[in-house]
Amino acid sequence: MELTDRELVQQCQAGEMSAFQELVSRYHQKVYMVIFGLLRNREDALEVAQETFFRAYRKISGFQGGSSFYTWIYRIAVNLAIDAQRRQKRNPLDFRESMDGLLESQGEAARDPFADFHDKELREKLTSAINDLTPEHKAVIVLRTIEGLSYKDIGEILGCSEGTVMSRLHYARKKLQDKLSAFL
Amino acid sequence: MNGCEDKIASIELWLDGELSGAESESLRVHMAACAGCSEARRRLEKLQSTLTGVLLSEAQRVDFMPFWRAVQLRVNEKRPWYQDALDWMRGVLPASRVAWVVPAVIVLLLAGVSLESYWRGGAGRNAFATVESIDAYGRNVALLREYDTKTTVIWLYQDQEGENEAAEETAPSGPAF
Repeated sequence: MELTDRELVQQCQAGEMSAFQELVSRYHQKVYMVIFGLLRNREDALEVAQETFFRAYRKISGFQGGSSFYTWIYRIAVNLAIDAQRRQKRNPLDFRESMDGLLESQGEAARDPFADFHDKELREKLTSAINDLTPEHKAVIVLRTIEGLSYKDIGEILGCSEGTVMSRLHYARKKLQDKLSAFL
Repeated sequence: MNGCEDKIASIELWLDGELSGAESESLRVHMAACAGCSEARRRLEKLQSTLTGVLLSEAQRVDFMPFWRAVQLRVNEKRPWYQDALDWMRGVLPASRVAWVVPAVIVLLLAGVSLESYWRGGAGRNAFATVESIDAYGRNVALLREYDTKTTVIWLYQDQEGENEAAEETAPSGPAF
């Protein structure tokens, strides 16, 4: 039977490295997605994701279980990503190249050339529109997208109220829709 | 979609699973009859699915084993003490909590420069003071007092990490007054 996150955390606290490995295996892609959603740069996102788990490992002995493991790890990830973004002085070209690589790799499964072109353009516009959001607005929309987290969980991760989450989501979606009106 | 603007927020709440059963049912009935709201729902769903697609396809590129090895390496790595201290400081002293430091440092510098000019009879010379890293984010403050013109210049600046080489060559390393 698969162990719950709480059981794995308890094993980690008892010094079981394999339990921590299992937690990393469960969450590494989701944590990476959150960070990539905020930073839009693969190398930076990977670096920050690894740092997130490193910080989690060091702090896990103090994790009381008052919140779920995933809200705790996402909180570390978002804080590190926002911190990294403030210091990030990357050339936008880095991001464009990164996204071009991603879009090309998806182009193999092309069915309808027109639909693919439209999709590719939409994805490009979407990523560019997300770039224009503030870190706080990016964070809510990415957290909501990745795991369908509730407003309560998102509020817990970001340290704000459910009402704030709701208004930030509404604002972010409106901004994105305005910029993508020709594609949606 | 005349008169349905207020429904958009409800559609978002509904898509996010934040509406009660009765509210959901009422909204579903409305959307079935309202082309505008139905279209708004379609647009929101398309936005959501496109974003999910972009992030999911990106995450699938991250293989577990290399990722885990990199995390393990960090766990086993011995970090210098100042790295830990800096990490701790960043956690304990986020920018918002140390905002008061900026005016406090400026006042201290002003006081220092004024005292210096008082003791040394500083007329006819200029005083310059700088404080490095007033917080964990590389923000600095510098101050210039020019006695001839009775001008005080306060300069806040931030270290530019990763600045390109060309910029470094052209930009002066200190404040250019």
